Amino acid sequence: MIMTKQEFLTSSGVQVQTLEFWLEQEWLIPERTADGMNFSEKDVARARLIQDLKTDLGVNDEGIDVVLHLIDQLHGMRRALAQLHVELRGGQA
Amino acid sequence: MRNPYEILGVPSSASAADLQKAYRKLAKKLHPDLNPGDKTAEEKFKEVAGAYDLLGDAEKRKRFDAGEIDATGAERQQQHFYRDFAGADDGHPYTNSAGFGDFMDEGDAFAELLRRSQRARANRRGEDLHYQLAIDFVDSIVGTTKRIILPDGGALDVKIPPGLVDGQVIRLKGKGAPGAGKGGPGDALIEVEVLPDRRFTRDGDNISLELPISLSEAVLGGKIRVPTPTGDVTMSVPKGSNTGTTLRLRGKGAPRRGGGSGDELVKLKIVLPKSPDPELEAFVSNWDVGKNFNPREGSAS
Repeated sequence: MIMTKQEFLTSSGVQVQTLEFWLEQEWLIPERTADGMNFSEKDVARARLIQDLKTDLGVNDEGIDVVLHLIDQLHGMRRALAQLHVELRGGQA
Repeated sequence: MRNPYEILGVPSSASAADLQKAYRKLAKKLHPDLNPGDKTAEEKFKEVAGAYDLLGDAEKRKRFDAGEIDATGAERQQQHFYRDFAGADDGHPYTNSAGFGDFMDEGDAFAELLRRSQRARANRRGEDLHYQLAIDFVDSIVGTTKRIILPDGGALDVKIPPGLVDGQVIRLKGKGAPGAGKGGPGDALIEVEVLPDRRFTRDGDNISLELPISLSEAVLGGKIRVPTPTGDVTMSVPKGSNTGTTLRLRGKGAPRRGGGSGDELVKLKIVLPKSPDPELEAFVSNWDVGKNFNPREGSAS
């Protein structure tokens, strides 16, 4: 499901200024199109993660930067590991 | 469902601040996005979050403590966490392979496997492909379109801009190797060699040309045809022109970046008829002024 910026704001409950800040920090990188931005479900889930970190876990903005960076690396490694797993079993990529 | 106080590990007398502290401590450990590979984390987190939803709300907590509501339904709704999407193979820019870059630098089979997996998944722009193309001098001045036949049988049409210089590289956006994921294709980079021309040479924006003229054209002057890259033009040779006299054809040189053109410099060269002419010999042997003129006078001898 692809959302416009407006739909994203409505469904995530994020304020416009907050979203602008997140985009500036590159915490969210929606797909850019000729007429604006496209938000995927992945972006929505990531926005929820940022909100959880901020409100539930009490992480400040600096901390969120660090957490997201590490999580992105973790997922990169998990993917590589998954791919290795496939390769080692002799399967196709 | 278990008692929410038990879940959070606090006594029922705990303050709101203690509750939050207890919840945060657990949530930091259990948040599914901080435990992407742990399936049980999600269940535990939902339980903890549900308990905190109930007790963290002063009104709900009061009603729970008074026995008006129970913990049923306090469990959080099914929620999609970021980790559910982060594993998807859509080549999103979020994913980062910096975490194992050092392993990939090695030369062993493990590193090769990692590299292969990254190539397969990363959001990578395709590679730039390099080609070489040789064109005629005249084409480099006036511009043209050339076709390169690729090894795979495809073709690239390369637009040569007017005024191109030898060694210039033309970039064709998106004509390189295809990318992976959301990375676009690379570019084709075409290095253009300008073949030397037997008539013209280039010096910056100007073009030079050595043009033979006859003795009578030199002595008497006249109109002659001069080749330029854009075709022949007529030029007046002034009376008494000499070998080495350079005439300028304005705007007949190479186009300049940003408008205008250089000039064509025509250097004259007097050429006598191939076979000796008795009439000319007779004239020159009786020509006293010509005999007395020493062109080397004043120069080192």
